[in-house]
Amino acid sequence: MTLLEKPALHSCRTVAAVLLTLALSAPGSIAQARDRQEIGPLPEKAPPSAALVEMGRRLFFDVRVSGDGAISCATCHDPGQGFTRQLDKEGQPMALSDAYPGTRHFRNAPTLINVAHKADFANVGWGWDGHMGANLNDVIRDQITETMMMNMDMRLMHERMKQDPVYVQMCRENFNGECSSGKGRKALDAFMQTLVSKDVPFDQGTLSGEAELGRILFEGKAGCIGCHSGPYFSDGEPHNTGVPENLDVFQDPLRHIAYRAVLTNHGVPKADIWRRDVGYFLVSKDYRDVGSFITPTLRETAHTAPYMHNGMFQTLEEVVAFYVAGGGHDDPLATELQPLDLDRSEQAQLVAFVRALSSPEAPTAEKVEIPLEYEPIDNWLEVRN
Amino acid sequence: MKLPKQILPSLALSFAAALLLASANVAAERDPALSKIDPDVDPPLAPLPLPPAPPDNPITQAKADLGMMLFFDPKLTGDASLSCGDCHDPKQGWGFNDPISRGYPGTVHWRNSQTVVNTAYLSKLFWQGNAKSLEAQAPIANKGAVAGNGENDVMEARLRQTPYYIEKFGEIFGTMQPNLGDAWMAIATFERTLSQQDTPLDRYLAGDTEALSAQAVMGKQLFEGKANCIECHNGPALTDEKYYNLGVPRPFEWEEMGLNTVTFRWEAYAKGVHEKYYREWKDDAGLYYSTKRSVDAGKHRTAPLRYLAYTAPYMHAGQFYTLEEVIDFYNEGGGENEFTDGSHGLENKTPILKPLNLTDEEKEALVAFLEEISGEEIRFKLPEVPPYGVAPDVSGLTQAQAKRIGLETYLAAAGQQ
Repeated sequence: MTLLEKPALHSCRTVAAVLLTLALSAPGSIAQARDRQEIGPLPEKAPPSAALVEMGRRLFFDVRVSGDGAISCATCHDPGQGFTRQLDKEGQPMALSDAYPGTRHFRNAPTLINVAHKADFANVGWGWDGHMGANLNDVIRDQITETMMMNMDMRLMHERMKQDPVYVQMCRENFNGECSSGKGRKALDAFMQTLVSKDVPFDQGTLSGEAELGRILFEGKAGCIGCHSGPYFSDGEPHNTGVPENLDVFQDPLRHIAYRAVLTNHGVPKADIWRRDVGYFLVSKDYRDVGSFITPTLRETAHTAPYMHNGMFQTLEEVVAFYVAGGGHDDPLATELQPLDLDRSEQAQLVAFVRALSSPEAPTAEKVEIPLEYEPIDNWLEVRN
Repeated sequence: MKLPKQILPSLALSFAAALLLASANVAAERDPALSKIDPDVDPPLAPLPLPPAPPDNPITQAKADLGMMLFFDPKLTGDASLSCGDCHDPKQGWGFNDPISRGYPGTVHWRNSQTVVNTAYLSKLFWQGNAKSLEAQAPIANKGAVAGNGENDVMEARLRQTPYYIEKFGEIFGTMQPNLGDAWMAIATFERTLSQQDTPLDRYLAGDTEALSAQAVMGKQLFEGKANCIECHNGPALTDEKYYNLGVPRPFEWEEMGLNTVTFRWEAYAKGVHEKYYREWKDDAGLYYSTKRSVDAGKHRTAPLRYLAYTAPYMHAGQFYTLEEVIDFYNEGGGENEFTDGSHGLENKTPILKPLNLTDEEKEALVAFLEEISGEEIRFKLPEVPPYGVAPDVSGLTQAQAKRIGLETYLAAAGQQ
C-alpha cells in the first residue's frame, strides 16, 4: 500500500461498527445501520414547546448575539434563502459567506433546514471539515463564539439576555429561572428543531416518473448512495471528490485571513502556505484527508444553491455533470470517484430525483423585530444582579 | 514621532541615576499617626528620568515607529473597526474624554480610559493594576470583550496579510512572518516614547525656580504639606502605585443606562467574583478582582498626576469632571461607597483621608500646581495604516498548482515508497 491510498478510515469504522453490533446483539441498532443506511423519510421527532421555539426565534434574529452587534444567525442562514447563503449587493447568492465583520469566511454556509436530524447521521464533527462539535447545541456554541463567525463572549451573551425584559420573561416561562447563555442555546436548538422539510415528494411517495427513474440511478448505476445514504442523504463521513478550489479564498485578503486563522487555531502545519482548502485534514492531520469534506445532506438542495463546501457549482445540473465526469482531479490524492456512464436524459432524471427531496416551498420563519437599546433595570440598587 | 536624541543611548544608566537622586532627597516630615497607617517612606517629587525599558525589549527608533503604526491600526481588534488610538486618542489627552470609556462596538467600557503619556514609568497598569508591564497591558486591552474583542489567531493573520508588517517585523524582529507577541513589544516601545521629562515641574525640581508660578509653588507646598497629596502621589511619576479605597461614589451610569449595566455585570462575571458578591455588589470592587479578598474591595491603584490637565474627567469611572471637584472631594476627607459604609459589612476606606480645611485660595493654588506641571500637550499626526496585500504566489495560480501547494513534502515522501 502506498501512502496515497486511503482505505483505513472506512474499514476501521466498519469493523468497529460490526464489533459494536455483535456486542449489543441488537439487530437494527444504530451501529449496524451506519454501514449503509437505506434512504427514506426522516423520523418524526417530538416537537419542542412553542414557547421555547419563540425564544429561540427571537435569538435567531437578534444581532446582539454577535460580539459587535453587527450580525445575527439569520445573516448567513437567511430564512428567505432556505436558511443558507447571503445575497451580494446585486442580489445574487454568494458562494462564500461573509460572516463576521473584519474578516470574510471561506466556506459556503450550509442550510439549517433538517439540521435537527443531523446528529443522528453524523459520524465525525460538524462543519464542512468536521472541526465543530457533534451535536446541535455544541455547534450553536461554536458558531456564536468563533472569531470569524459571531465572535461573542458567552458571558456577555448571558448578561445581554439578562438586561432584556423580553428574554427575562421568556427564561422565566421556559426554565423557571434567570437567563443564561446555556438557556439561550437550548432555545436556539428548539427553534432549529422546527426547521424541517414539509410535503417533500420523495417522503410522500409522489415521485414523478422521471424522478423515480432518477431514484433508481441514484441507488444504482450512479452510485450516489455510496455517500448520500440514509434518511438524511449523508453518510456523515469525509470524502474527497476533487471539487475545484475557490481561489477567491486566497485572492481576497479578508478571506485568506479567516482561513489561515482557522488553520493556525487548529494546529495545521504550514498555515501560511496552503493555497487549497485542506478540509478534514484540519481535524485528522492525516495527509490522505487533504481535500476531504463531510458529505452534505441532499434535502432542500432545490433552495440552497450554490453547492459544495466552497459554492463552486451554481446548479444541480452542474453538480451531476461533475460527478458524471468522475469528479475533479486531485492527483495523486485519491478521489474515490469513477466516471459515470449516464446520458443526458439520465442526468436529468437524477436532477429530478434530487429536486424531489426538497419542500415545494422552502421553509422560512417570520423575522422578529428587536429594539437594540438596553433599558435600565427598575430599582437596580435594590434587586439582586 | 522622532525620539529625542538622548533617549537612545544609556537609558538604563540615566534611570538609575535618577533613582539615586530621588532617594538622596530627604522626605518631608510626616504626621506620626500617618506613619502608623503607612510605615513606608514616601519618596519625594523628583524629575522624570528617561523612560526605562525591560532588558528584553530595548527602545529603538524602528521599533517605536512600528509600534506607532500598530497603535493606530484597527487590525488588532475583533472586527477591525477600532485601534488602541480610539480609546487612547491623542486629541483627548491620549485617553478618552467621556467619564466611562467607549467600548467595542455594541458595548461600553466600565472604567475611565487613562492617558498613555508617561505610562513608561508604571509597573502596574489599569486601575486595577492587573498588568505589570506595557507589554502585558496591550493584549489584555485588545482582547477583552468590551475593549478590543480581538482573538490571537485572527489578529496575527491580519498582520501576516499586510506586506508592510511582513517587511518591518522581519527587519526588527528577524522573523519570516509577523508574530503577535512582537506586536505588543512594538506597541509598548512606542508608548514608552510618549513621556515628558521637560515639564515645568521637572525644570523646577532641577533648580529653575522660575519654572512654576508663585501660585503653583504655593500649591506644591500644600501638595507636600497640609493637603498631604504626596502621601500617595509621590516619586517622579506622582504615584506610589498602591491601592486605596477613597470612598469615590458609584458612577450613575450602571444604574441608569442599560448598556452600562450589562458591562458592569459582565465584568464581575468574567473576573470570577464569588456568586454572592456578583449578586449583591453594585460597585467596582477594584483590587478585589485580583486578590478575591473582600478587604480589597473598592481599592484602585493611585493614579499618576502628570499630564493631568489634558485627561479629564478624573477617577476610575470619571466621577469628577474638574480638578476643582477632585480637590473638594479630598478637602472633605473623601467620600463613601458601598465598600466603605458598612452596607456589605466592609469599611475599606483608607484612614489616610481626613478633612483638610483648605481655604479657597489654597484650593486654587493646588489646582494651579496640577495644571502647570502638565507640560505641553503631545500633538500627533495620525499615520495612514498599511493596507492588506494578496499573497504574491496567488496571481495566475492554476487549479493544479493550488491543489499541490502544501503537499510537497508529503508527496516527496510518498514517491520514495
